[in-house]
Amino acid sequence: MNLTYKLVNGADGKPISVKRSDGWAIPFDPDNTDYQQYLAWLAEGNTPEAADGTN
Amino acid sequence: MTTSNILSQLGSAGVSTGFKNRIINGAMVIDQRNSGASVTQDTSGTQYCLDRWTIYGNVAGKFTAQQNAGSVTPPVGFTNYLGITSTSAYSIGSGDAFQLVQRIEGFNYADLNWGTANAKTVTLSFQVYSSLTGTFGGSFVNGANNYSYPFTYSIPVANTWTAISVTVAGPTSGTWVGATNGVGVGVYFGLGVGSSGSGTAGSWQSALYRSATGATSVVGTNGATFYITGVQLEVGTTATNFDYRSIGTELALCQRYFQVAGRGYGYARDSSSILINYQCIVTMRAIPSLALTTASPYIENVPWASIATTSGCTVDNGHMSVYGGDVKVSGSISGISANQFIEWGSAQLLISSEL
Repeated sequence: MNLTYKLVNGADGKPISVKRSDGWAIPFDPDNTDYQQYLAWLAEGNTPEAADGTN
Repeated sequence: MTTSNILSQLGSAGVSTGFKNRIINGAMVIDQRNSGASVTQDTSGTQYCLDRWTIYGNVAGKFTAQQNAGSVTPPVGFTNYLGITSTSAYSIGSGDAFQLVQRIEGFNYADLNWGTANAKTVTLSFQVYSSLTGTFGGSFVNGANNYSYPFTYSIPVANTWTAISVTVAGPTSGTWVGATNGVGVGVYFGLGVGSSGSGTAGSWQSALYRSATGATSVVGTNGATFYITGVQLEVGTTATNFDYRSIGTELALCQRYFQVAGRGYGYARDSSSILINYQCIVTMRAIPSLALTTASPYIENVPWASIATTSGCTVDNGHMSVYGGDVKVSGSISGISANQFIEWGSAQLLISSEL
């Protein structure tokens, strides 16, 4: 399963979390294992899909 | 009772001294995610079967995991087990790895002093049942995935529960997190690991070894079974009796890492989104990830006047803490208008802060 990600913006238009393609919504918490996996995915040169807009 | 009597009793069968077993859900009782349903292994690295037990394989679909798979009689004293079943006869390559793992949180192992001169010896014990016989393998792995201790054990008779005990002198070197919420140590059971992921059994090595060289490959035989329960990791050189915990205690321990939300209340932000407040059942290990079990969740306006028609719903996660917070659900939600008070159905929201 190749997971992909999409950014989610907050009310101020800045990213506050990220959605994974399997449906999980992942917080920007360095202790969160899913977020650590997202950072590793970024480090491999991948880019998340842009957010739809403000939340 | 004299002091010597007390000390003797503490080490005898049937006596527990608190959090003796560092493995959570070692009796395979809790299955919040799947409620006994089978899970087919994928390659995501994020897949859990029973609570706290994660499965992985670098090639998808080579085994399934299920509570009480095959419906054999558990070993005496147990009511459940975790069953692995191979779904093909897969010849593993040098870089392949198929495994069952429990990662223990730093807070729950820090007293072992691993990575120091005072590192404590531990004993891993479990009951295992397989259609295969031979030498099997596993490993202890640090949180940085660069230091490990491969071990072997023998299953001499097929389709019979066998009690296994593996004693390991704690490492005095390597990188180990202390009392933190990170990964303290991973306990790996190899189900088929290629040569590059397998190491010589019986010593700590500066590499990520998921199993021991020469171990039997479960995924190598179509229909092969590997059942396990009574997994216990304890301080000392001897495997003592399994540390039974109450169902409430065991569930709460699991819920630090994964929870399923019950019914709750919230309000409609507008015609396409609702906001619900979720307070975690127990404080979570880290700020959790969130997911819905259905894209068409049950939402009704209060006081029970109508039920919304929902589809295509997803969850956002910008306002959670380890204690809980606000959860936004968006999608096609008709029959609810802005600012209406709503009730949210049970078992629709998953909360995870697994290691």
